[in-house]
Amino acid sequence: MTETLPTAPPTRPRAERHAPERRETGSGNKLVGRSVPRTEDLALLTGTARFIDDIRLPGMLYAKILRSTTAHARLNGVDLSKALQQPGVRGAICGQDLLGKVKPWGDMMQDLLVGDHFPFATDKILYEGQEIAAVVADSKYAALDALEVIEVDYDELPVLVDPEGALDPESPLIQEGINYEFGEGNIFDRYRVRVGDAAAAAADADVVVRQRFVSNRQAGAALDPHGCVASYDSFTGVLTIYSSTQSIFMVRDVLADTLQIPRNRVRVVIPEVGAGFGSKAQMFAHEVIASVLSMQLGRPVHLVLGRGEIFRAGTARTGQVRYAEMYLKRDGEITGYRDYIVHDCGAQSLWGNQVVHIGTNVGMLPYPIPNIHIDADVVHTNTAPAGPLRGFGIPETIWAKEQLVDMAAERLGMDPLDLRARNVVQPESFPYRTPMGQVIDSTSIDRCLQTCAEAIGWREKKARPEPNEGVGLAVSMKYTSCRHPSLDTDLSAVRVRLETDGTVTIFSSDVSHGQGHATFLAQIVSDVLGVGFEKVALAPPDSATAPFGLGTYASRAAAVLGTACRQAAERLREKVVAIAAHVLEANPEDLDTGNDRVHVRGLPDTGLYLENLAGYAAYRTHQLPPGFEPTLEAVATYDTPTEREAPDGSGNFSVTYSGAAHAAHVRVDPDTGRITVIDYAMAHDTGTVINPLIVEGQHQGGFLMGIGMALGEDYVYDDQGRLLNASFKDYQAPYATELPELTKMFEIPAPSVNIPGGQKGAGESGTGPVPAAIGNAVYDATGVRFTALPITPDRMLLALREKERRGLDSFRYPDDMPDFTSPRTPDEWPTPTGSDEGDLLL
Amino acid sequence: MKPFSFHSPRGLGEAVDLLERHGPGAQVIAGGQTLLLAMKERLARPSALVSLAEVADLRGWRYTDSGALEIGAATTYAALAEAELTGVPLRGWHTEIAAVAGDLADRPVRTMGTIGGALCAADPRFDMVTLVVALDAELDTVGAGGGRTIRAAEFFDPVGGTVLRPGEILTTVRFRPQDGFSGVAFEKFRYRVFDAALVSAVCALRLGADGAVADARVTVGAVHPAPVLATTAADRLVGGTPTAVDTVEIGLVAADEVLPAEQATTSVRRYQRELIGVLVGRAIARSHERAHTTTAGS
Ligand SMILES: Cc1cc2nc3c(=O)[nH]c(=O)nc-3n(C[C@H](O)[C@H](O)[C@H](O)COP(=O)(O)OP(=O)(O)OC[C@H]3O[C@@H](n4cnc5c(N)ncnc54)[C@H](O)[C@@H]3O)c2cc1C
Repeated sequence: MTETLPTAPPTRPRAERHAPERRETGSGNKLVGRSVPRTEDLALLTGTARFIDDIRLPGMLYAKILRSTTAHARLNGVDLSKALQQPGVRGAICGQDLLGKVKPWGDMMQDLLVGDHFPFATDKILYEGQEIAAVVADSKYAALDALEVIEVDYDELPVLVDPEGALDPESPLIQEGINYEFGEGNIFDRYRVRVGDAAAAAADADVVVRQRFVSNRQAGAALDPHGCVASYDSFTGVLTIYSSTQSIFMVRDVLADTLQIPRNRVRVVIPEVGAGFGSKAQMFAHEVIASVLSMQLGRPVHLVLGRGEIFRAGTARTGQVRYAEMYLKRDGEITGYRDYIVHDCGAQSLWGNQVVHIGTNVGMLPYPIPNIHIDADVVHTNTAPAGPLRGFGIPETIWAKEQLVDMAAERLGMDPLDLRARNVVQPESFPYRTPMGQVIDSTSIDRCLQTCAEAIGWREKKARPEPNEGVGLAVSMKYTSCRHPSLDTDLSAVRVRLETDGTVTIFSSDVSHGQGHATFLAQIVSDVLGVGFEKVALAPPDSATAPFGLGTYASRAAAVLGTACRQAAERLREKVVAIAAHVLEANPEDLDTGNDRVHVRGLPDTGLYLENLAGYAAYRTHQLPPGFEPTLEAVATYDTPTEREAPDGSGNFSVTYSGAAHAAHVRVDPDTGRITVIDYAMAHDTGTVINPLIVEGQHQGGFLMGIGMALGEDYVYDDQGRLLNASFKDYQAPYATELPELTKMFEIPAPSVNIPGGQKGAGESGTGPVPAAIGNAVYDATGVRFTALPITPDRMLLALREKERRGLDSFRYPDDMPDFTSPRTPDEWPTPTGSDEGDLLL
Repeated sequence: MKPFSFHSPRGLGEAVDLLERHGPGAQVIAGGQTLLLAMKERLARPSALVSLAEVADLRGWRYTDSGALEIGAATTYAALAEAELTGVPLRGWHTEIAAVAGDLADRPVRTMGTIGGALCAADPRFDMVTLVVALDAELDTVGAGGGRTIRAAEFFDPVGGTVLRPGEILTTVRFRPQDGFSGVAFEKFRYRVFDAALVSAVCALRLGADGAVADARVTVGAVHPAPVLATTAADRLVGGTPTAVDTVEIGLVAADEVLPAEQATTSVRRYQRELIGVLVGRAIARSHERAHTTTAGS
């Protein structure tokens, strides 16, 4: 259970002025703030929810994709003739068939001049698992049989797996024929931050800590597979696509553009989506393939990916190598941060370069570091496409930065708790702008830090350490939605309709894939409109009927969609109050809503039912006020008041920032290297919590992904770019049995001032600090500083043995292992490839 | 998956006939926990499946007159794990077999998976594979050409797989009577609780009248394609009473024997080498402790 502590006090002195008036609606029984059980759960728990693979349409055919088994090759030809002769086969296509017919995509999200994505490899294979051809048949089995007889002629090319290898101009070139604005060769983009004067901060520092850190590739691992059913109606010319995606308009717009058909001829409909975590936040090749096949045949085409395909061709977390340094004064003040990041986006990536921007900018929090100097080379390798994954680059940044903080504390002889407390943002007044540009409208991060430390027993454990046990801390602040450098927008929209029986339907295009939209939006509508919670329903996302919104990612649902919903409900409320005022011959100011009606303030049992008011607007329009437009719909779009990225990398990308402070207590078995997280405390600032049950679930799930990243998950490649663990059997995602009981969860709300309801994003706070908190705890327990993820038992034990053999007190894994070949010391570190001239962002 | 025919014989003879009749494409299916996964990925493509589910003789266990424990090949892990609740509870060190069956995979796999299925799949990481070699079990088979009894150590081909002939069915696994060993302990390391072992180790000891070790078998699994007997390590145990120091040392002897340093060139191999030492040490200590409790008790 999450314990909610009193609202953090010092968060709204000056800012109070900016807070909108909050209306008291009389009835008192507000649902916002309550753990209303999720409306979604009955269908999920009883197995009646329908996911993408459950969809059956009349006349539906099944498609399967042939994927490359090699990671880098020249593709000479694909022979489909035998496949087409197989029984039950209705069609087969490959890259050559689509050249000049469908448009490449990927330019918009990446800020590239041309798209680098295509449904199939055409003349080159870039990674293992890339689409080569597809077959559509009467059954899945017939399609799979036909894939086996497709002949692929290719010549292998040298393979590049190591991201740092991509910096070498001599490395095998992966994407050919693309001119990049800010890169060349396998470096397809660059990023930099220049805030303050980091060189001066370095010169003035009393302590400088430096370390190379590596972070892992992590799978989205949504249990519901990626997939779609495309159904083209050759009479109307409308292509309907059911898809397991996080964003219907992203799919619609990019798909329509790729197919070069009008956007009002593409309709995206969403079944239940069993999670995405960022891995379904784009249009994928399979969506184009199913659409093309359906358009060719005039029949619905089902195309759902298998787990191995999802591992290889879904998107995985970007990998990073960081050469990071931190500058501090003797009293513990962090004065500067410098980093050179090699950012691995795999063979192609729609969002990968954005990850390093946002993850690095926001990852500097919760410290208002005055001098920051960062360079990143954003590279391609012959590995799985990279993309957003829970935390969007922040866990990677925190992994490096929060370990540097512990290293600095050791050098300064300071308690890591005190060092953090000395530096976390706690301004005199709000809003406060950090040197990096983030505008902090409220935060309780200092109290979160103290609370989680206290809950883990920090002081006692530090004073009386147990052998092979240790404690570690990490703090982060997470954006709540985000204005992407490549997309100058951050909006969501809601339309609400009061139905003629007094029920309410919410229309939204933002897909709920675990966030409980049907529940929390209904809580908001119920409170604003005074309508019973059970009378409010959320329509399934459908691009034909829903207002335009960006989708569900970046922890944006509660704050951005929730705000749109609140505003739409308020607009609807004005309408019903206006009708009631007319009918009751009352002053609208004297009326209130509640108990499913509009009533005279203070007399909740009087008044007119919403049902009657809706009836007037629909069926008795003479009852309406003169000139009143008889519609009981209201729509609102909320675009956050956020900034674009400035040329120096600074900017306020997020409308508000959630806080997370985590404390880990680990035990390491010195015989086997097994790392057990025996206790874990989390304190979060999610602002005003709409539904504590949902938020706690998000934090638990976020933690789960964090511990997976920390202790097991990774894409393991051989040197030929073959993924060796592309199944849940081999991929080391944590099982429930490996997790600590999460009994120490605290919410310390510092309500957002920018967001009218005060809420902040919840979805990713639980992930960011986990790898670093565990890494710091492992160091405390063993004296082994892990600089690469994941921290697995085998690495742990080999590190312990090597440390023992060399008789060292402290040891870095893998840097101090005998077979380590990358730079060990800062004098060997590479320098960024970009020049300091020119403007990267224009 | 590819199309196949499914047969559910009632008796062993019928099963053998069906396998013969359907030729090389026919395959036995017991719990399907290995086979179905392979079929799903099209790695196995049997044309006919002969199920052992209805063959009653292959399920359950009994003690023979001589005190040997005979377990039917199609006995599920779940049944064995709950042996103490049944009419034929396991005794003494035989309970370690039930303990192993109850501490592998997850509940659905244990409910369906069979001990014979694991042995015939012969994946060296499967616990029963290591255990039958460690306990010097005998395996009975029948085929079109009649029956055979094969010692566990000979059942597994050192380069992987089994010596089963096409169409041959494993029927029974026979463990020594109680006096065969005084104490047995199985140890394994797996990353996650439902993962197969990265290393498994078994120590089976028999104490002499003087309380010293009269006989010892030390077996290491999951490291090579078939379980390996660490005879040097075992010999070191004979004639003595292992102390804490000895168990650590003998663990290292086993590691040298099974996976010498020069062969442990990758980090996984180096880790396995470390684990062999640790797990063999733990298995010796625990089996010895048990041997003493058993002997003291009797
Ligand atoms: C998720 C998961 C986790 C697992 N974890 C573990 C673990 O921790 N430890 C462990 O030891 N194992 C583990 N296993 C493996 C399990 O022990 C094997 O799947 C085992 O094969 C189950 O037996 P079965 O009866 O289902 O075999 P089946 O799949 O039915 O058969 C396997 C093979 O043996 C053949 N066969 C079966 N019975 C006979 C017979 N009587 N005569 C001749 N041939 C036969 C079949 O033809 C087939 O080739 C796990 C499996 C899964 C799916």
